[in-house]
Amino acid sequence: MNNNDLKYVGKPVPRKDGPLKATGGAQYTVDISLPGMLVGKVLRSPYPHARILNIDTSQAKKLPGVKAVVTSADSLKVKHGFIDTPRYPADQYPIAVDMVRHAGEEIAGVAAIDEDTANEALSLIHVEYERLPAVFDPEEAMKLDAPEIHPNHPKVSDPYKNIGGKIETAFGDIEKAFTGSYLIREDKFYCQIRTHGYMEPQATVASWDHSSKLNVWTSSMGVFLKRARLARTLGLPFGSVRILKTYVGGAFGGKIDLYGHEYIASLLSMKCRLPVKIVYTREEVFKAARHGQPLIVEIKTGVKRDGTILGQQIRTINDSGAYRGSGVVAIFLAWGFAMAPYRIPSMQYEGYSVYTNNLVRAPQRGHGAPKMRFAAESQFDVIAEELGMDPIDFRLKNARNPGDMLPNGDSVKNFGLKECIAKVAEKTDFKAKYEAALKERHSGSTIKRGIGIGTTAYFSGSLVYPNSSTVIVRFNDDASVSVMTGALDIGQGCETVISQIVAEELGVPLNEIHVHAADTETTPVDIGSWISGLTYVTGNAAKKAASHAMKKLLNVAAQELGSEVQELIALDKTIFVGHSPDRKISYGQAIAASIAKNKGDCIIGEGHFRTMKDEVSPPSLSTAKGRWTENYSNYAQVAEVEVDTETGMVRILKATTAHDCGFPVNPVLVEGQIDGQVSMGQGHILSEELRVEDGCVINPSFLEYKMPCALDMVETDYIDVITETYDKEHHYNTKEVGEGYVSGTVASVANAIYNAIGIRVKKTPVHPQDIIDALEKHEHGGKGDLTR
Amino acid sequence: MTRPSKQIISLNVNGDDYELAVRPNRTLLEVLREDLMLTGTKEGCEDGSCGTCTVLLDGAPVRSCMLLAVDVAGRHVVTIEGLASDNELHPVQKAFVEYGAIQCGYCSPGMILTAKALLDTNPNPTEEEIKLAISGNLCRCTGYNKIVSAIKIAGENIAGVSSHE
Ligand code: FES
Ligand code: FES
Repeated sequence: MNNNDLKYVGKPVPRKDGPLKATGGAQYTVDISLPGMLVGKVLRSPYPHARILNIDTSQAKKLPGVKAVVTSADSLKVKHGFIDTPRYPADQYPIAVDMVRHAGEEIAGVAAIDEDTANEALSLIHVEYERLPAVFDPEEAMKLDAPEIHPNHPKVSDPYKNIGGKIETAFGDIEKAFTGSYLIREDKFYCQIRTHGYMEPQATVASWDHSSKLNVWTSSMGVFLKRARLARTLGLPFGSVRILKTYVGGAFGGKIDLYGHEYIASLLSMKCRLPVKIVYTREEVFKAARHGQPLIVEIKTGVKRDGTILGQQIRTINDSGAYRGSGVVAIFLAWGFAMAPYRIPSMQYEGYSVYTNNLVRAPQRGHGAPKMRFAAESQFDVIAEELGMDPIDFRLKNARNPGDMLPNGDSVKNFGLKECIAKVAEKTDFKAKYEAALKERHSGSTIKRGIGIGTTAYFSGSLVYPNSSTVIVRFNDDASVSVMTGALDIGQGCETVISQIVAEELGVPLNEIHVHAADTETTPVDIGSWISGLTYVTGNAAKKAASHAMKKLLNVAAQELGSEVQELIALDKTIFVGHSPDRKISYGQAIAASIAKNKGDCIIGEGHFRTMKDEVSPPSLSTAKGRWTENYSNYAQVAEVEVDTETGMVRILKATTAHDCGFPVNPVLVEGQIDGQVSMGQGHILSEELRVEDGCVINPSFLEYKMPCALDMVETDYIDVITETYDKEHHYNTKEVGEGYVSGTVASVANAIYNAIGIRVKKTPVHPQDIIDALEKHEHGGKGDLTR
Repeated sequence: MTRPSKQIISLNVNGDDYELAVRPNRTLLEVLREDLMLTGTKEGCEDGSCGTCTVLLDGAPVRSCMLLAVDVAGRHVVTIEGLASDNELHPVQKAFVEYGAIQCGYCSPGMILTAKALLDTNPNPTEEEIKLAISGNLCRCTGYNKIVSAIKIAGENIAGVSSHE
């Protein structure tokens, strides 16, 4: 089938939950209220590293209105971790046992009849600490004399005691590559800590009911992972823990893993047998929740005289905070984002994830890509300039071609990167503007313009628990359709996308498709909204489920009409015999016939999908061996900026994105993803930074942590590069669209700043004062790199 | 801990008159969400910096987390639940839905009410005026592009309808 023949897929239909959200009717976790519900609060460590000598909760327990107080003494002391493998065993208790390793770590929880009482109870808990030496800088923490953060932990890199994760991988012959290089560049780049900035704070309601079942509503990115982690740490069978759907007010990576408050709310509810709700204050989100990964990237690249890349050596250091969190994943992914987009015949990569006494890190939109691409793309431009090439030609020379095999065994079968680069350069008139800016640099004007490019290839789902998706499509008696999916819509619009796919397969209008989603008890397992594979994996499961139901419906129709299935045509919920259209049966009649004559079969379709079906496990986090993903998305993004050399202010005038997401199932949702990422990338490169002193966040408010507002809005433009089709007969190959672009924005703005003023950005964010200082240094004959 | 005693206030919310007993330290946001169960109004920061708690007070957008309920006694409040009438979405709501201005939706109630107040006083705003009006409402999902276009379109639709009347 040609994409043009489609009725629902590929169309910019409005999201299904729009009216509910626009009228205030969508229930988020913060809105849940149950009879008898108590307010839960968490007592957190004020110190970044300390031994807990004693916790006295007796006074708090006596306070009228307090219904439960819990500490680790009430817990089973089971550790959890974003990663839990023999090499990287779980390393964190959901409520501190004897030690705290970061400020804000959970020590106790209280449940009381109102917020004031709960807060007062917290103030009545007395904790005795013995403070311990702490370390906050990952490079310091890697030294032999640094304080040891996890003394009883298996070491991955003796004798360095704080290295919580290490990955080493190589291919080709790096020595030979460098010896044969015409030019070799070595640079070091730094990225800051950013918060996710979800507008709905962390929130959980837990209710232990009379049938000894724990019901949990929590602001998350996938209910099945939460259930697994919660059940294990509480020592309950999976069937005794139910996570129910709520609307989610943004997540961006920050709501995946198990959080202490989810465990504590559950424990409190189990103790007092009443529902307990914990909602973070915004200050608590800033000071105690997990934030993104700061990364240091050292990168050395060798090229031939004509610009062909021969080899690349990369070392990354990630400050993973007090527990491993997703730190070891970030250093694995950073490798992936280095090797995927461009042909690099020889590469040597080592990544370190280092324990410090900082807050734990979570994945964050792009998870390593913005930092790695910022480093690589910035260095590409340096090299291109030294070779006298322009940035576009350099990239076109080295970008991968469709069908290339990656060193890990993945094929980039349908890779649109070159097309993205060429199209975005053409549409933005890149080369002319680039040259014009170089000339303008020496003019008298204090406002300089520049243009820059950044590119990415991003994975589309991988094999991480729960690995796969199942969808059930059920016809109702009136021929409307119910879809059961475990997918959780976190704002990206997956319920709408799944409905479009089901509507396409069944020929039933969108408003007659009812999605029942994200409930561990009543919906089948789902891969989750956090591994960039939902539209691909869950979407294909939905497609299979719908076509399974459709096949059953057509079989009944064939029986009833006395014809062959192949002769039938379905249109507007009626099935006709193609050559004699007056022989027809409505969907409703066919369903009734199925129930009457096929032993009550009311027509239910079932579909499963797992990416990389022949692989047993995800790639290795220590060697990077093994397949990563089936489909790589591509982007090339061009930013045009204006730099005021007097004030140091940088304005992004426009961001143009050429994107290959396979094909867009819903173009308006795709554009929304791009716009949101441009804005996040803008915050990353220009303003956002979580400032931390001795492990404590010192700017815990939107007043002091600057996220882009409407006045900062960047004009966006999009170019579709379509590399796939949606075909009714087969599964389709759509690609990631919600994470990768953020890197394009960071890299393209950094390169555009250089084009405008000749200052090479080597750290983010770029504050106006940094620009002024760098320009001053430059004027006095210094190199003028903008770095730490 | 001693608590201040409650005061009786009357408040008109979405056209209905309420008589409420509230402690003087409670915000309008808390009273709307917890006493009247109007949870469409959201809390994002509790320090006046995000705009998710925006409601209309006598027609003007205000941050309900920054106002004490006792200080607005006797006044008219419109929350997001009071905007659609007879099951018909307000043109701003309609445009937000149709033009992709909603993603997670957490900022949407505050954003929509702010936009409505703008269009009430300035039915044909420029892009800059729109951006300025909503600059105190943070949205992390959309980058604002589709929100700004939706408000523009809503303004045009409202003007179109009234010029036909
Ligand atoms: S909650 Fe009122 S401004 Fe953020
Ligand atoms: S739509 Fe999510 S914050 Fe605006």
